[in-house]
Amino acid sequence: MLRYVLRRVAWTIVLLALVSAVTFAVFYLLPSTDPAVARAGKQPTPELIEQIRRTLGLDQPLYVQYAKYMESVFLHFDFGYSFDTGQDVREMIVTRLPATISLTAGAVVVWMVIAMPIGMISAIRRGSALDRLTMTGALLAISAPVYWLGLISLYLFARDIGAVPIFAGNGTYQPLTQDPLAWLDSLLLPWLVLAAGFAAFYARMLRSNLVEVMSEDYIRTARAKGLSERRVLWRHGARGAITPVVTVLGLDIGILLGGSILTETVFSIPGVGLYAYEAIQSADLPVIQGTVLFSAFFIIAMNLLVDIAYAFLDPRVRLA
Amino acid sequence: MTDSSPWNDRRRGARLAALACAGALALTLGACGSGDGDSDNAGGGGGSSTTSAGYDAGLPSDAQKKGGTLKLLSAEAFQHPDPGQAYFQLDYMVAYAVHRPLYYYEPSNSAEPIPDLADGEPDISADGKTVTVKLKRGIKYGTVDKKAAINGKEVTAADIKYAFERALNPSVPNGYFAAYFTSISGSDKAKGGDISGITTPDDHTVQFRLDEPTGATLAKALVMPIAMPVPQSYVAQFDAKQPNPYETDPEKQAFSGPYMVQDYQSGKSMTLVRNPNWVAATDSRPAYLDRIEWVLNADANVAGRQVFNGTGLVNGDTPTPATVRRFARQAKQRISFSPLGNRWVPLNTQKKPFSDINVRKAVLAATDRRAMQLTRGGALTGDVATHFLPPGIPGYEEAGGAAGPGVDYLAKPAGDPALAAEYLKKAGFSSGRYEGDPIRMVSSNDSPAKETALVVRRSLQSLGFEVSQRSVDQSTFYDMCNDIDQQRKIDVCMNFGWLPDFFDGLAMLNANFNGASLSRINQNPALLDDPKINKAMDDAAQIADPKKRAQAWGDVDRMLVAHAVAIPWFWDKQPNVVSKNVHGVIARWNATWDLSYMSLK
Repeated sequence: MLRYVLRRVAWTIVLLALVSAVTFAVFYLLPSTDPAVARAGKQPTPELIEQIRRTLGLDQPLYVQYAKYMESVFLHFDFGYSFDTGQDVREMIVTRLPATISLTAGAVVVWMVIAMPIGMISAIRRGSALDRLTMTGALLAISAPVYWLGLISLYLFARDIGAVPIFAGNGTYQPLTQDPLAWLDSLLLPWLVLAAGFAAFYARMLRSNLVEVMSEDYIRTARAKGLSERRVLWRHGARGAITPVVTVLGLDIGILLGGSILTETVFSIPGVGLYAYEAIQSADLPVIQGTVLFSAFFIIAMNLLVDIAYAFLDPRVRLA
Repeated sequence: MTDSSPWNDRRRGARLAALACAGALALTLGACGSGDGDSDNAGGGGGSSTTSAGYDAGLPSDAQKKGGTLKLLSAEAFQHPDPGQAYFQLDYMVAYAVHRPLYYYEPSNSAEPIPDLADGEPDISADGKTVTVKLKRGIKYGTVDKKAAINGKEVTAADIKYAFERALNPSVPNGYFAAYFTSISGSDKAKGGDISGITTPDDHTVQFRLDEPTGATLAKALVMPIAMPVPQSYVAQFDAKQPNPYETDPEKQAFSGPYMVQDYQSGKSMTLVRNPNWVAATDSRPAYLDRIEWVLNADANVAGRQVFNGTGLVNGDTPTPATVRRFARQAKQRISFSPLGNRWVPLNTQKKPFSDINVRKAVLAATDRRAMQLTRGGALTGDVATHFLPPGIPGYEEAGGAAGPGVDYLAKPAGDPALAAEYLKKAGFSSGRYEGDPIRMVSSNDSPAKETALVVRRSLQSLGFEVSQRSVDQSTFYDMCNDIDQQRKIDVCMNFGWLPDFFDGLAMLNANFNGASLSRINQNPALLDDPKINKAMDDAAQIADPKKRAQAWGDVDRMLVAHAVAIPWFWDKQPNVVSKNVHGVIARWNATWDLSYMSLK
């Protein structure tokens, strides 16, 4: 097990280096505005542009820039400074991470709480009116883009602009450490909006998994042994059906921890996603690199956790 | 500056980026603004609370009262909170509330600046090579950190000198020093240290010695944030670092204005509170509000609704088309429109076929500027231009005002095909249709720039031009249409526009049309280098008398139109919206709120 984990960690570092190289290459090889020119204002002199280029380290060969960046990231955990604002990228990401973690964690809880019972009941009562109703609802929820759903929910339910003012609205996010109640209040609607599509997807996935698992031979064996239907479902069926869900859940959590760009944007939650969105708009390479690396790290890390969790959930899996 | 860079892309760093959504305003505003005669120029002065069309005039009034908290909702974020680097509409809104420049524009009159830190008009020597400014006494700095050594210290002339010097420091890359201040003696050698041409004969006098007789222009530019005091004894420690903490942590700044930055969360929020050391008796600004909170990176659509429904709120940047439409229809008295710049289509004057003035005149005559106006949303978002200087800028009336200079090829906003054919005949095309080589046109593929480009392309095609159009993303467009080597190969670079750095004809026309301004990063896309026009501009830059100066720049504008160097087609207006209980006051030179004049009702 330890060897497996160490090998995966080493591979994680290689993957992160590859991701950063691709981001770096995309930024410089595709047509993009010269950050020094962009920073220099309307009527810059060539001297000013060169001065800014030196300041930003853009006067050095690309491979040197990349090597220095890699050295800073991997040896000093230093992601450099924003071209746009001069802010420390690591500090900015760390500052914004709690908002993203809050949004992700809450949304995961909400969608799992919704998806699990719906998926299981739909599977058990396959073809019933309840099954058809929930699966149609799930289809609608999956089809609704988060940005649209966010705006509509704000227009309907936000206290400041909503027709039925129930939830805190846009721009109300408060850190948990500052005011736990305000934190909870500000995130309820974003959680529901972010969770809607995921809950629907997970419910459908769980349903189809469970339907498939319940027709497996070992389930028939369990029934033949005289186990109660409840015990068959929970002890044998659910455990088998949930394994693929864990895989996807791990990936989704990793992706969301890298930034829920749309949800953070529509609710003005100052998280990593919104930070990445701003950086993309202003071609701010250090911030783009930093947020991409963070995002990639979370995805890879969650993948690793999922693989380890697999061993516990599914006895057939053994980590070599 | 290009439409797709400063007007739509805040990367440029220029404050023109403020017009970001002015671009996005287009098209969808047609319903409330297009050709319905609803146009209302709110750019003038006067004391009425509403304009003739019923919109909010955005002017101060005697009924305003002190107290309260105002909240601004902004889809964009600040670029450079350091006054030495600030060059963006949002940055300016804060800079002018927390610092005091030598001169300042009152909201009700942007024609002439008033002394702010300065104690009287600038004294320009007869030869135009020396500008002397006396400073008011008793103006003090306030800092958030009460223990800071500079807290409570008086602003001195040395602080102005250092503010200029640090603009050449690599850790304070100023975007406009090169445009207006390089005539200061010794500035060419300075790298953040002493500029020999700036002296301080005493603690309350600063003197600028120039290599050229352009004192009048330098005096005009003393309204810019570079002329806000920066105490070297306190700030040098920050300027020695990269990145500069005076920029990244504006709470550390030494504030001379009525407010100070109490808290700044980059990309999230900013909070301004009263500066306890502000000396109201020395300032014309009323500073009604107790506190100003700024939410950054708010969703623009939601922010518009929040301002509409809520209290104590205003837009922090350009509202969305849906917001403007809603206010214009349902709450006219809570939306104001302020003129702010121009848009024009440059024609490459150094390359055939547009090196021929008659071909250029034919294109101007044929272009449907009314249709171009509609692509941006119609009359509510701006007027069809008849020349280059927009309303409000000194020289606008002298250049012909709204009617224009009276040339036949701009007489019909919807185009005059017959006249265009006549000009083409004069150019040697006997059929009245262009029969030469295909032309190259480059445009941005963003809306509404691409729709505007389509109108121009059709106008060109109607004259017989075979147009090879390249529609590219904004950054590529910027790279192509601001690079002089690329520009030389392009016949028409679409989507250019300009905002003045200060209210003066020079700030509108010099960079775009003076041959002396041709440079690698080039803002003269028509590649115009006409000795007579260059001389007229150089002469106008030396005139100190406001009336004569306005006349001179109006005359330059007329020359540009007479030479048909570009298609002037739009004078933009910036919308601003307020909640029910907010008295909004517009800083017309910046086309957005003057926070020091805003109040709650």
